[in-house]
Amino acid sequence: MAAATQIETVTITVNDLELTVPKGELIVESVKRLGFEIPIFCYHPRMKPVGMCRMCIVEVGFKQPDGSVRKMPKPQAACTLPASEGMVVYTDTEAVHRDRKGVLEFLLVNHPLDCPICDRGGECPLQNNTLFYGPSTSRYVEIKRHLPKAYPLSKYVTLDLERCIQCGRCVRFTEEISGDSQLAFRFRGANMQPSTFGLMEFESKFSGNVIEICPVGALTSSKYRFRARPWDLQTRPAICTNCSNGCNVWMDYRVDKVVRINGRTNEAINEEWTCDRGKFGHDFYNSPDRLNVPLVRRGTALVETNWSEAYSDCIRAFTSSTNTAGLGGNANSNEDLFAWKKLFNEGFKSNELDYNWTKVAPIADPTHAKPSIASIEDAPSILVFGSSLADELPIVFLRVRKAWFKNGAKVIVAHDQATDADSFAELVLNYQPGTEATLAQALADAKAGKSVEAAAKLTGVPAEKIAAAAAHLTSSTAIITSHELLNRPGAHDALGALKGLGELRNYALNANDQGAAEIGIGTGTKRSAQILADARDGKLDALWLLGVDPFEVCEDHDLVQAALENVAFLVVQAHTKNGAFPYASVVLPMTAPAEADGTYTNADRHIQRFGAVLPAKGEAKPAWKAFSEISLRLKPGRPWFNADEVGRALGAEVAAFANHSFNQLPTEGLPLV
Amino acid sequence: MAERKLILEHAHDPAYRTLDGYLAKGGYEALKKALKMERQAIIDEVKTSGLRGRGGAGFPTWIKWNGIPKEKSDKLHYVLCNADEGEPGTFKDKQIMEQTPYLLIEGMTIAGLATQGDRGYIYIRGEFIDAARSLRNAIDQAYAKGYLGKNILGSGRDFDLFIHLGAGSYECGEESALMSSLMGERGMPRLKFPHAPLPTISGLWDSPTLINNVETYACAPFIIKNGGEWYSTLGASTKNSRGTKIFSVSGHVNNPGNFEIEFGTSLKELLEMAGGVKGGKLKACVPGGSSVPIINAEAVDRAIIGYEEMADVKSMVGSGGCMFLNEHTCIVTFIWRTALFYANESCGKCTPCREGTRWMLQILDRIRQGKGQQGDIELLEEVCSQIDGRSFCGLGDAAAWPVQGAIRVFREEFEYFIANGRSIVTSEPSLVMAP
Ligand code: SF4
Ligand code: FES
Repeated sequence: MAAATQIETVTITVNDLELTVPKGELIVESVKRLGFEIPIFCYHPRMKPVGMCRMCIVEVGFKQPDGSVRKMPKPQAACTLPASEGMVVYTDTEAVHRDRKGVLEFLLVNHPLDCPICDRGGECPLQNNTLFYGPSTSRYVEIKRHLPKAYPLSKYVTLDLERCIQCGRCVRFTEEISGDSQLAFRFRGANMQPSTFGLMEFESKFSGNVIEICPVGALTSSKYRFRARPWDLQTRPAICTNCSNGCNVWMDYRVDKVVRINGRTNEAINEEWTCDRGKFGHDFYNSPDRLNVPLVRRGTALVETNWSEAYSDCIRAFTSSTNTAGLGGNANSNEDLFAWKKLFNEGFKSNELDYNWTKVAPIADPTHAKPSIASIEDAPSILVFGSSLADELPIVFLRVRKAWFKNGAKVIVAHDQATDADSFAELVLNYQPGTEATLAQALADAKAGKSVEAAAKLTGVPAEKIAAAAAHLTSSTAIITSHELLNRPGAHDALGALKGLGELRNYALNANDQGAAEIGIGTGTKRSAQILADARDGKLDALWLLGVDPFEVCEDHDLVQAALENVAFLVVQAHTKNGAFPYASVVLPMTAPAEADGTYTNADRHIQRFGAVLPAKGEAKPAWKAFSEISLRLKPGRPWFNADEVGRALGAEVAAFANHSFNQLPTEGLPLV
Repeated sequence: MAERKLILEHAHDPAYRTLDGYLAKGGYEALKKALKMERQAIIDEVKTSGLRGRGGAGFPTWIKWNGIPKEKSDKLHYVLCNADEGEPGTFKDKQIMEQTPYLLIEGMTIAGLATQGDRGYIYIRGEFIDAARSLRNAIDQAYAKGYLGKNILGSGRDFDLFIHLGAGSYECGEESALMSSLMGERGMPRLKFPHAPLPTISGLWDSPTLINNVETYACAPFIIKNGGEWYSTLGASTKNSRGTKIFSVSGHVNNPGNFEIEFGTSLKELLEMAGGVKGGKLKACVPGGSSVPIINAEAVDRAIIGYEEMADVKSMVGSGGCMFLNEHTCIVTFIWRTALFYANESCGKCTPCREGTRWMLQILDRIRQGKGQQGDIELLEEVCSQIDGRSFCGLGDAAAWPVQGAIRVFREEFEYFIANGRSIVTSEPSLVMAP
């Protein structure tokens, strides 16, 4: 690391207390250093300040050489005011309190004050600020502005225009953070309202965030609307298991039902954002298709049974042959995966387990240290290769965009189709499908000064463009690829070429693919496609599907169907009925991620804990527990009693996980060593 | 004092709108002179002249010119003209652009020389089609004869000039909103010093930008041609206002129009130039555009036109949109109409202006419908004070001042209206007015 740069500081005075702060720091932030609070609405620390709402106005003066203070004639917005030498700020004078009352009175004159039926009631910044700083009555006797109360912006977001206080946070979010610029203000003056362009659908992969940053109940979640009051909700920290980013979230549930997911701040992972897939993808928790009793096949029917009988069936099938295999585990905890591998290796004497559904190259190279997602921000240049990142890893996409928006990183996108990142890319290399490896090699060649004419012809990317892109690549370039590339022919070669061009980040796709790789799932002799083919050809005696629907993850549905039909014995261990269910010999009900303690390893090898939020459904068990119990049948001994014990055993066997068990992890998680 | 015409001297001569006609009347002599001057010398002349911004604020012009970085970075320098003349009662820039376009063009070119400007933009109010046409024509001729573009008059200096028509928003006359609009953004004001750098450092496209009003630029040729010293003798009787100022006189006068006067002229003289009051005795005057506080006839008698002098009668020179009102004018209605304008034109960015202008309008509306209540006047005053100085830009202040001013000077008219449900000046019952 270079020597720490000296931070230029200035000395300011806040309410008669002197303090030194970085020059140019916004006063609204500076005062927090002393524990003072300035009420805000429009200001959001992750977006550029705009000074719209005027809630944060304070009195400001400057120290004169003779020691006196010259106050500025007008009060100033603290959220846009950079600290400068000798600045004197008053946050608590009579004038300031009067001004705050004034602003709040203005904000409320046209606000419907329908707090008793508002989703936001109880957790509303407008309520809070009014309570602390506002007038207790209104002098407004005119007719309020009347506007649509339930305008559906998209299937996720419903806008109540009457409640809007025109703070512009939502508009700025789509401009500055998600970059889809879906929202803008229309009309002016008191009629100004946030809107999509031409009232078209709010099309965004991140629309849910605006619901959270809206300081009132104007932007509401179509799913959560009128479903609960905040004080009726139980809120627990959770991890999103929809993709490998491992976003930190809050899970809100009411009487055992998940009703809402909100972003939880973790600077290393997701800052405070969520993607729509994660935020709104919690329906399965309450699905009527949830499995809650073990089932065994008797004749042609699946019949309810107890765990003991289900175990017996499994043991019979998996111990009578070593020609067995297991697939899945993509969204299972490290504990589940470890216990699964243990059971297979020691109990069933088989190692044919795979989590990997990519066609060509494996996703998660366990030996490859993954530079952190957060460090993408600091990369001077970024190459997104063969991945439509906003679809695959939406929150990683936000980091890439932030690197460009905030730090001016040069972004190069290589893909065979248009992607969301094109809008801010310095260069877009639009190659012919299937020429990934050629292009990657051409980039390496161009960097080495070799001619790339031939490659240009093949890939359809002009040679100058390849050269221009190569010129941006240095050892600190963040090269990001994902699942999508790994399904392409030549993915191996492409990865090989990319490796030498910068810091390669080949991120996993599913919630715990990285963990599966680290634990050694996928080290058998057969890949998933081979296992399915064997099953189809009647060469497999028993197959175990852990938490996966092969119809969802494998494009070759005919193969999947034939495999499931022809395999002699099929275990479906899942939390919800899935495509494999009709073919099952035994169905083992499993807890969903929020229903059991567990740890998950995300794409950049952060291991995070996810404590049980909800009770298990019926007789469903965490997968590791079922495995532990089956092992006990096979070899008497002491089973694992809880997830932490599984984690400690894992740590003892896989060095990377040492000291990373459930109880050893802090809430914000730890990177794997 | 009588009229003192510099800018408007040849305004009514159609030939003056052509390059040849302009040259025949001594046009472009200032530019030729300026081309031989050091950059700083031009700025110093402007400083000596005592010229202050004619758009309304009266800020010393040379400070802006001097504020443009002397060392050029890789960024372009912009010379921007605020021709979004939208202040109700003001129509002087319109006449300058339509009838004396070369004064503006020459003035901007000189400003470009002084500040190493590369590009000039004239942001014209959307409705001013004729002004835009006239400027377009004049700019084209200037380009053709080498007064604009590359290598101006063989000097090796370049300056390009563009015109841009606004889309119809009063707020876009606020200089930072004007820049937003010119750059293709929504016409909303931007952060200002000390919250952001001055436009002279970082304005249009984050580059150094000089912005002045049409009339201000039109003064520059006279200052350069005759010297700042000479210019500063005009208006010498005032404390700190130099030169001439064009007033757009309207309202209840016999001969409305633009009148160019020397600072130090009295408001009464201006009224006389406009043919005196029509239809009754003088009651009130809004001397500098709708946003400045209204004054009564007695104050008109004492008012001397000058930036500081007008403060003595608690009003302002403003943009020079001077409206005289006769005794049959209902002040409540007049202010209601003003408030309607501001409520319509608030851009919506900040809370006090967005909500306050609407609220004021609603209160005044109610009073005008004969439904005024005890306490309405105090409420209006309070609402004004909650806007004044708290809004993001000057539009909020501009909306509050006229109401504050009217209540201060004509409080009894408001009281009468509230108590009797009708205006003090008419026997009619209350007027129900649709906005
Ligand atoms: S909808 Fe919410 S976030 Fe958007 S401007 Fe209105 S109050 Fe602000
Ligand atoms: S928080 Fe500062 S103006 Fe809104």
